[in-house]
Amino acid sequence: MTLGAGLQGPVQSKLRTSLSRTLESDTPREHTPLSVPTLAPEPFLNLLATIRGIGYRFDSPKEVLAKANPLKSGDVLAGIAAGSPVERVAARAVLANLTLCELREAPVVPYDEDELTRLVEDSLDQAAFLCVGHLTVGEFREWLLEDATTGDMIRSVSPGLTPEMVAAVCKLMSNLDLMVVGAKCKVVVRANNTLGLPGTFSSRLQPNHPKDDLEGILLSTREGLAYGCGDAVIGVNPATDSAESTAHILRALDGLMKRNGIPTQHCVLSHVTVQMQALELDCPMDLMFQSLSGTEQGNQAFGVSIGLLDEAHALMGERRSSRGPNYMYFETGQGSALSSEAHHGADQVTLEARCYGFARRYSPFLVNSVVGFIGPEYLADGRQITRAGLEDHFMGKLMGLPMGCDACFTYHADMGQDELENLKVLLGAAGCTYLMSMPVGDDIMLNYQSTSYHDIPSVRKLLGKRPTPEFDAWLNKMGIMQGDAPGENFGKAEMIR
Amino acid sequence: MSATRELIARLREQLGESAPLSPAGPALPLTPPPRRVFPSPRTRSSLQGQAAAHTTALVGIGRVGTRYATDVVLQFQAELAVAHHAVASLLPEEWIEQNGLLNLQTRVSDHQEFLLRPDLGRRLSDASRQALQTRARKDIDIQPILADGLSAEACIGSGMEVLGALIGECESRGWTVGTPMCARFGRVWLQDEIGELLGAKVCIIILGERPGLGTGDGLSAYVVHNPAIGKTDSDRNMISNIHARGTSPNSAASRLADLAGAMLEQGTSGVGLDLSRVAPGNTATELRAPQVRESLVEVGR
Repeated sequence: MTLGAGLQGPVQSKLRTSLSRTLESDTPREHTPLSVPTLAPEPFLNLLATIRGIGYRFDSPKEVLAKANPLKSGDVLAGIAAGSPVERVAARAVLANLTLCELREAPVVPYDEDELTRLVEDSLDQAAFLCVGHLTVGEFREWLLEDATTGDMIRSVSPGLTPEMVAAVCKLMSNLDLMVVGAKCKVVVRANNTLGLPGTFSSRLQPNHPKDDLEGILLSTREGLAYGCGDAVIGVNPATDSAESTAHILRALDGLMKRNGIPTQHCVLSHVTVQMQALELDCPMDLMFQSLSGTEQGNQAFGVSIGLLDEAHALMGERRSSRGPNYMYFETGQGSALSSEAHHGADQVTLEARCYGFARRYSPFLVNSVVGFIGPEYLADGRQITRAGLEDHFMGKLMGLPMGCDACFTYHADMGQDELENLKVLLGAAGCTYLMSMPVGDDIMLNYQSTSYHDIPSVRKLLGKRPTPEFDAWLNKMGIMQGDAPGENFGKAEMIR
Repeated sequence: MSATRELIARLREQLGESAPLSPAGPALPLTPPPRRVFPSPRTRSSLQGQAAAHTTALVGIGRVGTRYATDVVLQFQAELAVAHHAVASLLPEEWIEQNGLLNLQTRVSDHQEFLLRPDLGRRLSDASRQALQTRARKDIDIQPILADGLSAEACIGSGMEVLGALIGECESRGWTVGTPMCARFGRVWLQDEIGELLGAKVCIIILGERPGLGTGDGLSAYVVHNPAIGKTDSDRNMISNIHARGTSPNSAASRLADLAGAMLEQGTSGVGLDLSRVAPGNTATELRAPQVRESLVEVGR
């Protein structure tokens, strides 16, 4: 597909005026050498917008990105949020007129200081980038929204996008814009199940237990399966972060899946080094998990680096128990870099996108943000958590990831149950690949409120969605579902051995 | 007839001339669905019985369509309300003075700010720094601090009991103990500034923990050796779930004293502390409250 040909209508006419600024779009697949990223971002002298006669000037694209962000308590905490709603719009106006190429040249953490910046820059698909680099962020937003722009066209552009570009366009989108484009994006991956096909909506079953009591974990798992949950993964956050306990839980989940012939994946979400040790104990492991942050320093706080994840990924390439080819699982969340003082003055939406820039290196099977988990100092209330959930889904999908979401709140955030239920439906409608699921949405180990076993079939029914085809077939065989309606064994945990 | 009217007429004919839906049938008397009660030892199924022995997760709660039965909704809402109520509770200044504690303020000015600005809750106001300089005992082995944290309700509920038991434990082990004090809108790391100012060898802060569903009365306690601003979470040891159904105030006090003793002996805390040399019980991950999921809603007639 030739991407340049996809740019039509108003975008194309606006494009004419901007073409002279940077690159020729008539040669989209030609590898043209780009200028190397500049160390001192001096060229941005005219980051200025005027609203009602008042001029707003910004010093750097990083400042523009931060101030263009919708109000988030985390950006206020970091001291980088816009000073007023008008300044916020001014920042968006400036951002709308920057080109993607200019954003590429101004990563929010300098190339020399951060391995994630280097990873993104050095591995960017130059041909794909050349198809879009000349667009302004405003034009790119319009191109994404055009009816003529299909999921396949977005998929072709995706490897040429840096996190900063994706975060930038996100800031110009309303919630419904984010949903419309998110729903267009196509990302389909395979481990044992095929995840992300159009018309499907999946769930991670999260049967956590504060003491890793296997009976407790399995009882909760059986209940969830009986509600049609667990087609993305049966994933346990262990209370004890040890190789033995990781292997112990994986063997128990593996036994349950084998006894009942369940086509899905299992995972124990201990630290990646612990899972690597667990593999040495010869345990089954369908997916390998790790939490990611958006800067090298933030990842250091998580005890990971590109080198370490490369090693983990290679080990799973040999030792995993799933078919693949996708077998990594990553979690992210706005605010994680700031919480370890590793944000480099960048806003949390841009840093979140940088997590996805890291994740895509490993063609993961699952990626989700844990959107309300980190606390009200980063996302204060229902409005901010809802917005962030839709942003993260959009940005992840735009970067080609099978994006799910842990739609959730902690009990000290200003969000109610009804607002959380709203978000689950919004995410489902936006084409979110999967949500979590646990008994009444209550994680009895991590003490927060997420999606429930009852929510998954409810959202599926409302939106006319189905589980992954493999899992769907199993649910029908078990009488848990009958076609798209609950079957005679729906909700009966006793059916699962 | 205009083209629009023609279109409307044609579609109306297709959809049914009179009304798009046939008239609703007569309402039939409804039989109430089978009574669902929140699982209790009397009413629970075998799966629920098994579950009760192994987990506090709400399994075996049944369904109506794909949603919860009414009693599950009420139970859930009650549990959520208990948690939210605890978060919203405030610690009255009078309470601190009535209990004979040195009254400290952080840099936080109201509850909303407390939730959104953890950095301000980790530092003392200038007036409180002054008060500490003039009114608190210095160069002590152990400095205990009480604070509201994320549940003032928990602090008011059993804070004094835990604090009293802890001071008793420490004194019985021959350690010098600092002036008892209590901070409003306080976070865990506040112990660094206070401990540093007073020259305490070990600082222990006891504060309301983040409520979970159905619980708002839990306290946690954090212990740090050689407190100073700049210490991180990996420098601390903690115990959680201090409440009636979890760790009792007395056993919490003796465990905290064990941890403090190990820190004095080993000269470190947090990840560097060898817990194998501490009495057992401090390292195990404990069952989070509530250990028994009680039915919260009783309706009288």
